[in-house]
Amino acid sequence: MNVHSVHASHLSKAFGPKQVIRDLSFDVGPGDVVGVLGKNGAGKTTLLELMLGFTQPSGGDIRVFEHPSTDLPGSVKARVGFVPQQDELLEHLSVADQLSLIASFYPRWDEQLITRLSREWGIDTRARIRNLSQGERQKLSILLAFGHRPDLLVLDEPVASLDPLARRQFLEHLVEISTDGGRAVIFSSHIVSDIERLANRIWILKEGQLDWQGDLDSLKESVVRVHLRGSADALARVRLPRALNTRRQDQYRTAVVRDWSPAEHEALAANAGVEVQVEPLALEEIFLELHR
Amino acid sequence: MFVLNPQSGIPIYRQILDQVRRMVASGQLATGAELPSVRELATTHAVNPMTISKAYSLLEAEGLLERNRGKPMTVASQSRKQTPLGQRLGQIQPLVQQTVLAAKQLQLSEAELVKAVRRLWEEE
Repeated sequence: MNVHSVHASHLSKAFGPKQVIRDLSFDVGPGDVVGVLGKNGAGKTTLLELMLGFTQPSGGDIRVFEHPSTDLPGSVKARVGFVPQQDELLEHLSVADQLSLIASFYPRWDEQLITRLSREWGIDTRARIRNLSQGERQKLSILLAFGHRPDLLVLDEPVASLDPLARRQFLEHLVEISTDGGRAVIFSSHIVSDIERLANRIWILKEGQLDWQGDLDSLKESVVRVHLRGSADALARVRLPRALNTRRQDQYRTAVVRDWSPAEHEALAANAGVEVQVEPLALEEIFLELHR
Repeated sequence: MFVLNPQSGIPIYRQILDQVRRMVASGQLATGAELPSVRELATTHAVNPMTISKAYSLLEAEGLLERNRGKPMTVASQSRKQTPLGQRLGQIQPLVQQTVLAAKQLQLSEAELVKAVRRLWEEE
């Protein structure tokens, strides 16, 4: 049986005249860790909120475990965990009370896990929420989303306020929960290096559209920087149809190429008098190049 | 046992492939040598476990590694003796090419490059 954790087809969303999500189609399955990248205003938060049913699509369809996201039965909601960008903690409660409040909603709340993580992350459960720092609030929100061991975990900028150490602990824990293969994780972050470690799939959102979606590995293999060296005549004969950004200087030409392949490499190398060197790019650079 | 750099442009699974191939070719990883489990590698490096499984599966398909039920993966037996020199040189060729190109761009002489290599070699 092949049940998708999330399935969207031709999904779109407009707020008034402003089209925020345009015609997105995708599937996410158990074991996937999807990293969502995009500039501010690209539509990341809206996309995640559509998944959680917080907002109604303007067109198309989005389903979570086969149910329309705006109409999820309780049993399905109990399988979803969410860390919002702005936490929804109750100021007047203590950490312990907030934890037990959320725990009471879920039959499969994992008390042991929460106790362990609170200790590892140095969360003082007696503290009042209003006295917590931004980073501590974020850690607590993450705990609240992990506690019922969700099959689908959606995280919107979960680490923006965490220090590097806490971020690493968070990542290690994400790895731990994704090693059993049964869970799907979707997270947006501006910290590209975290996405580069954790995600096996990448979505690059650009003005509400998926500019790129696929394996991180294929992305890295298909967007590269090519360095060419040769005489002006030899370089003039070279054609680079999918070059994103080209720079020329004397006998050099440098271009970032999309949809790169070994065949393309061979074709280029066959140009007489041209030396070809291929430079792989880190995810951050790929992201920047795709936005130039 | 691996040096993994997630921020490099080379996908993590490729970094693992290259390193295992090199270590097996040189005999550094002998037949029967055990590899760290997927979970172990994923947690120590905080990287996606599927990436590591992918590398291991490809190495298994190549015949370099063997899967053992409930036990760590091991280096397969046909790789007992050292791979011929030519093949090992072939594996390092792209890296050498890059280095030489960079040296030329920096207008270093051959002797200067060789000297730099020798210094590193002796440090290791």
